[in-house]
Amino acid sequence: MKKYLEILKISFKAQIIYRMDVLFQLLFGITKIIFASVVWGVIFGSRSEVAGFTLNTMLSYYIVSSFLSCMDLSDITGNEMTWRIRDGTFSKYMVVPARVFGYLGAQTAGKAAFYLTFNLIAAVVWVLLFQIKFAITSNALLIIGALLMAALGLVFMLQLNYFLGILTFKFQDVWMFMMIKNNIVQFVTGSLIPLALLPQPVIDAMRLLPFYYVTYLPSMLLIGRNGEELLSGIIIIAVWVAAFIPLNLFTYNHLRKRYEGVGI
Amino acid sequence: MNVIQTEHLTKTYKRFEKEAGLKGSVRSLFNRKFISKTAVDDFSLSIGEGEFVGLIGPNGAGKTTLVKMLTGIIAPTSGKVSVLGYYPNKLENSFKRQYAVVMGQKSQLFPELSAADTFLLFKELYAIPDEEYRQNLAYFTELFGIQEYLNVQVRTLSLGERMKMELIAALLHNPKVLFLDEPTIGLDAIAQKQIRSFLREVNGQRGTTIILTSHYMEDIKSLCGRGVVINHGKKLYDGALTSLFDRYQTHKRITVLFEHENGLHLPEDIEILEQNPYKVSMMVKRERAKEVLGLLLEECDISDLTIEEDDIGSVVERIYAGGITDEEVS
Repeated sequence: MKKYLEILKISFKAQIIYRMDVLFQLLFGITKIIFASVVWGVIFGSRSEVAGFTLNTMLSYYIVSSFLSCMDLSDITGNEMTWRIRDGTFSKYMVVPARVFGYLGAQTAGKAAFYLTFNLIAAVVWVLLFQIKFAITSNALLIIGALLMAALGLVFMLQLNYFLGILTFKFQDVWMFMMIKNNIVQFVTGSLIPLALLPQPVIDAMRLLPFYYVTYLPSMLLIGRNGEELLSGIIIIAVWVAAFIPLNLFTYNHLRKRYEGVGI
Repeated sequence: MNVIQTEHLTKTYKRFEKEAGLKGSVRSLFNRKFISKTAVDDFSLSIGEGEFVGLIGPNGAGKTTLVKMLTGIIAPTSGKVSVLGYYPNKLENSFKRQYAVVMGQKSQLFPELSAADTFLLFKELYAIPDEEYRQNLAYFTELFGIQEYLNVQVRTLSLGERMKMELIAALLHNPKVLFLDEPTIGLDAIAQKQIRSFLREVNGQRGTTIILTSHYMEDIKSLCGRGVVINHGKKLYDGALTSLFDRYQTHKRITVLFEHENGLHLPEDIEILEQNPYKVSMMVKRERAKEVLGLLLEECDISDLTIEEDDIGSVVERIYAGGITDEEVS
């Protein structure tokens, strides 16, 4: 376990090496929240509620979901696997005594810790500066459940991108799989079409997919909503995570034999 | 005791082939052609503990493929391979803790951080005890004399300094076997010499078995007691390097620059590689080198003169052309 912690640390250290990057990350975090506050302020106008949300709950939802989204860097992991397998530098993970998934996971966690730290600083600055009431639930069960669900969601996204990365051993180029995955994620999370416009059976079916539980539901739970979905949500995402463990092990052990280390 | 044993080891790659041009690209979309290339062919080899073995061969000979199979990076197509009693491609952590590999053009160091940061990572990856880590780090940095660069960002180091750091990272956990693929490639003469001396020390003092591939004859000659010559994936020679060079390094390359325009006429049996009024470059049989040099010094106004040994490619070519006996390939 200690070795994965060291990988996380070295990945975090690599992120904070350039001071301008750090400064701009901080400014970007603050600007993003100010922008959201202005936009939602205009939308709310003189109304106290929109679709059951107050301005404070809406902004709280935005901040929480932004945090969770910024921690999901699994896309980078999948893409890094692809280019490393293609150019032969994937060998560096194969010759050190650590599990490849563990190495990449710890590396991704190190990067996520960087974004989380600076977005948190930005959020605190903003909340203090504008005296915003942070509308987070006081229900401990919901908070713990939401954090557990979010953690499982992030692990799942890493597993999924790792799986797509592994496919590079066979297909050489997996951009199509990545694109399909990104479209499904956008569809299920309502980024393409508002979920409310879809028929109820479709929405129910989508709730069996894991993406709904990565950022959307944990964010809603943290602002005290959708509590009735807590248990089923944790079970569904845990089942997905459990299912991907043997799938990834089998696929990696099977396909890595095709690796030729070309470029070394 | 043998630490490396291969029997009839073979690796065949499948390569995608397409005709040049748009027509070829469209055709390959519907009718894909693959060709097979055997990179390592029926290769049997035994390497004992503490040996320093040079893998010699031109580009594409199969040296790197062999190293990749021995380290488990790629799986063999057929044949048997055992390194330290393990089947490398099973990639067991207990196996990976016992060897190290340094690829000259690929790095394990994190370019944005200092080498010391990577060393700390390796300490945890290989579970090196604190005391052993401190001692090894002090020993290797002193051997290279690079203590002052430990905390410098890797991407700002020179190629030679970076390669020294790569070697230290590889050796911190006291591997039993060290695989080196072109460790001196692109380095200047001084850095090459320092690395050679470092490797000699590691092999001599620590008993580390070292398998080295290099294009530089000097690396192989000065470090390895035993040489394995490979070409087209096949083993052409396996034995003492002294007898290999005595027998096959038969020529010297002499290059002369003249002060003034020169119409030098050399004996007909000398192979001229390049000649113009101000320069001549030739291959001369070793036993005739003295005579030819005498002739040049006597007849020409020389501004510069270099004498080089045969390169590895020429030696391999000569072995290949001359054939080899079964005893030599034992």
